[in-house]
Amino acid sequence: MKGKSKVIETIVKRYEGDTGMLIPMMQDLQEEYGYLPAEQLRHLAIKLDVPLTRICAIATFYTSFRLAPKGEHEVTLCMGTVCYLKGAPQILETICEEFQVEAGGTTSDRLFSLQAVNCVGACALAPVMVVDGKYYDGVDPKSALEIIQGLSSSKEATVEKEAQA
Amino acid sequence: MKKASKKIIDTPQKLESLRNKLEKQKSPSAKSISICIGTGCAAQGSRKIYELFCEAVKDSGSKVEINTKCVGCHGFCERGPIVVVQPGDILYQNVEEPDVEEIFRETVLKGAIVERLLYKDPTTEALAKTPDEIPFYKSQQRIVLLNNGIIDPTNIEDYIAVGGYGALSKALFSMSPDEIIDEVDKAGLRGRGGGGFNTARKWRSCRNAEGTPKYVICNGDEGDPGAFMDRSIMEGNPHSVIEGMIIGAYAIGSSQGYIYVRNEYPLAVDHLTNALSQARERGFLGENILGSSFSFDIKINRGGGAFVCGESTALMASLEGRTGEPRAKYVHTVESGLNEKPTNLNNVETWANVPAIINKGSSWFASIGTEGSKGTKVFSLVGNVENTGLVEVPMGMTLRRIIYEIGGGVKNGKKFKAVQTGGPSGGCIPAEHLDTPVDFDELTKLGSMMGSGGMIVMDEDTCMVNVAKYFVEFLKKESCGKCTPCREGLSQMLYILERITKGEGEAGDIEKLKTLPKLLEGTALCALGKTAANPVLSTIRYFQKEYETHIKEQRCPAKVCKGLFSYEIDAELCKACGICKKECPVDAISGEKKVPHVIDQEKCTKCGNCFLKCPFNSIIKV
Amino acid sequence: MHTVTIDGVKVKVKEGATILDAAQKAGIWIPTLCYHPSVSNYATCRICMVELDRGEWKQLVTACNYPVRKDIVVSVSSKEAVNARRGVMELLLARSPDSEELKEIALRMGVKGTSYPKVTESQRNCILCGLCTSVCEEVIGQSAIGFSGRGVDRTVATPFRLASEDCIGCGACAAICPVGTIKIRIHEDTGEVEISPFKSRAKLLVCEECGARMVTEPVAKSMFDRVKIDWEEFRNRARLCPKCRRKRSAKALELSGNL
Repeated sequence: MKGKSKVIETIVKRYEGDTGMLIPMMQDLQEEYGYLPAEQLRHLAIKLDVPLTRICAIATFYTSFRLAPKGEHEVTLCMGTVCYLKGAPQILETICEEFQVEAGGTTSDRLFSLQAVNCVGACALAPVMVVDGKYYDGVDPKSALEIIQGLSSSKEATVEKEAQA
Repeated sequence: MKKASKKIIDTPQKLESLRNKLEKQKSPSAKSISICIGTGCAAQGSRKIYELFCEAVKDSGSKVEINTKCVGCHGFCERGPIVVVQPGDILYQNVEEPDVEEIFRETVLKGAIVERLLYKDPTTEALAKTPDEIPFYKSQQRIVLLNNGIIDPTNIEDYIAVGGYGALSKALFSMSPDEIIDEVDKAGLRGRGGGGFNTARKWRSCRNAEGTPKYVICNGDEGDPGAFMDRSIMEGNPHSVIEGMIIGAYAIGSSQGYIYVRNEYPLAVDHLTNALSQARERGFLGENILGSSFSFDIKINRGGGAFVCGESTALMASLEGRTGEPRAKYVHTVESGLNEKPTNLNNVETWANVPAIINKGSSWFASIGTEGSKGTKVFSLVGNVENTGLVEVPMGMTLRRIIYEIGGGVKNGKKFKAVQTGGPSGGCIPAEHLDTPVDFDELTKLGSMMGSGGMIVMDEDTCMVNVAKYFVEFLKKESCGKCTPCREGLSQMLYILERITKGEGEAGDIEKLKTLPKLLEGTALCALGKTAANPVLSTIRYFQKEYETHIKEQRCPAKVCKGLFSYEIDAELCKACGICKKECPVDAISGEKKVPHVIDQEKCTKCGNCFLKCPFNSIIKV
Repeated sequence: MHTVTIDGVKVKVKEGATILDAAQKAGIWIPTLCYHPSVSNYATCRICMVELDRGEWKQLVTACNYPVRKDIVVSVSSKEAVNARRGVMELLLARSPDSEELKEIALRMGVKGTSYPKVTESQRNCILCGLCTSVCEEVIGQSAIGFSGRGVDRTVATPFRLASEDCIGCGACAAICPVGTIKIRIHEDTGEVEISPFKSRAKLLVCEECGARMVTEPVAKSMFDRVKIDWEEFRNRARLCPKCRRKRSAKALELSGNL
């Protein structure tokens, strides 16, 4: 990983220090770390000379920002109207119960982060679940659980590899 | 100074000759395979299918030129992945990886048809070879989506070959800014984003406003659940949006534009970013566009995940690097918008209409549609409808024709109950109004609105109180929280609706649900709050009985609201397999082998597990 | 100058003045919560709704930020306006039922209670008017507090909800809060002031003579930074509270025999 202050320098430079581009800068920062580390937000505030409160307000206002590290995998469940009417709430409930995780949260073993989003715009495929960018159409509580259960942790994978070796 | 790129087109003549050259390159014997890579088809694996076709072409060593290309959304998302083969315009649907080899061998190489992959009419069983033969496409009229599914959205030459940037050339070299605004005015173009405001009037106000720089913004923060028209345009034909914006900027006198795209649309961001850099490379953006004295450029911003940013002032706040909170519009954004400068904002579909209007003229455009609503409108027809997808129809087509003729009617032979239009600010329209012509004014009269074009068909199994609850819950979650009535009022409404759907409704609830909307409409700061109660009002207006049944009889007639109906086992259908018994978390199901099982209604928590898991559909809701 | 007719009273105001300015000139009371003349106006509380007569139609607008750009006719006492303000107040009372300050304004408006249940959580009756965050940013220049979250989860908070490094303990936020959410607490044991509920603390200057608490160190420092007086020099002089300083000066004068 690049030096910590270097990351902010690079990002701020990319947008020529334009505070109007604060949100894209924070998006880039999140891309770098997977979340917004508090320390980096402080750097950013100083570098741009904007109040830290403003940065924190943005970080907590927009749902795509997260202030804690995310899980290894990303599970997104669509809650658009069609998905909702076709049973998405039951799927969400089942996942939350089975893995003891809340929408917007991450499982305690950091295997995956769960997000319930408004509409991914793939209504023809409802209900839709997106796992690490791959779309699954027509899911139900059972198949959703199976898909998630199929996710493996890279830790496990290394253990397995070692075992095989 | 920057060195001029070789690719740069700095005169209208150069554009014209490039177009001619591209046209000549198309050999009449050339074959092409177009694979839709819109989000719907891509979700069903169309990228892999594209790769397989590319390999097949390579392996075949064919001497005839075979063009394999990715194209934007065809609209018929239900049947994706969609592959179209030329010559012949043969449309294959639901194409899977193993089908590639057969399509290539039979159709591409031999010109034969693979019948099993053609569209088959569910009622007549007739096979359709080309899109024109499919009822879903037959009644559509495409202006905005015309080239979606035909051109490769990642290749600017494809757009130029179909006449792209010709409207820009015409606008810059043979029209004055005022003439352009007049032309758009005569066309009668109204904003496709929701409000239906007269586009030309907005442009003129912004042009006449004092202050520089002036900004133009494309609102691509398509947030209405169940709507993906703009996504398909941005993904499938990004240059049409960009060309529209450049023409608008020239008419208004703007030098800087922004496209604000929803965070959930990564492919749209990719395609737009790519299109912007190609347009810049060719000289359609930047200094001295096409060699004229006009300069303009566009930046692209991704949303952060906030529905309210579809509201113009919230979007501008977001572009200024702040939280997306709307502000009062007592002074219009055309006078004081982004950075307190004159700003003109239109949505994606509005911008995409502009090149066509300039090219074909206002009288052509105004000949389509109704008295007050001109042109076409793209709808995303979704829900319990046979043919799900994007449809573009002339304004004024009736709901019935859209849903039955194009959409193929309600799915699984169920009865139609309502169609929801206009997203969370819209309403639910019942069967008795199906013959209403769809335009801005007619839908408003019915207590709904055009909105951005979501059209969600609901069948008899839909609970309208639950639908109202869904939208209120959605808006409560998406309210920015700045103003009291929206933040508190939506919470109060949701509280009432939650009680009703749990069977805890009280006398007076319906009256309260009618008073709160009035308060919100009058006092909320922005349109999100002002119109937030429309789904509640329209469902009460047309389905009040259903509310009353929930409240007075603690019963959900559609059998959706948990606890307001019970599950029973149909003894005749039950095969006594024991699955339900195993799945029941509270041991409410009893029964021996070969004896139909029974649910103990006292113990049952109505979780619905047995209903979902029964392989014989023997569990029924009563 | 434009003429604003409010409930029949005609007043003249400058271009860009608000309806509220005009009402104050006309001596007509319009309730406000999120309005304060020293900070920007965001019209968040919506309690100042009045009815604007546009001739063909009438429109409810917020008096605090509606700019007068021509002659207008406004009604504060129309049924629509009164009902709108009452409705908003009832929603606020449901959110923040225990604020005496809020109840007082409600009573003055003739609203005796609310018909709504409490369904949203408020941090110590906070109505999210935003005056505290505005005064901290715009007047004090510290931005120690800001909004966090959105919708019903919106709160006023310090970054990461930790005691703020930027807070100077000036107490402007507590002074401007219209509903008594923000309180100043003095910790005698540590000689600190705490701005509650934000947990931010600042050291208070103490009089060497009588031990009385004075302003906080950072407040004094920031003030003297502004007037460009050397902090050390000031600190040497300002070891006493004003009372003791007066006493000492009097004594010095007495000793020098000038009195």
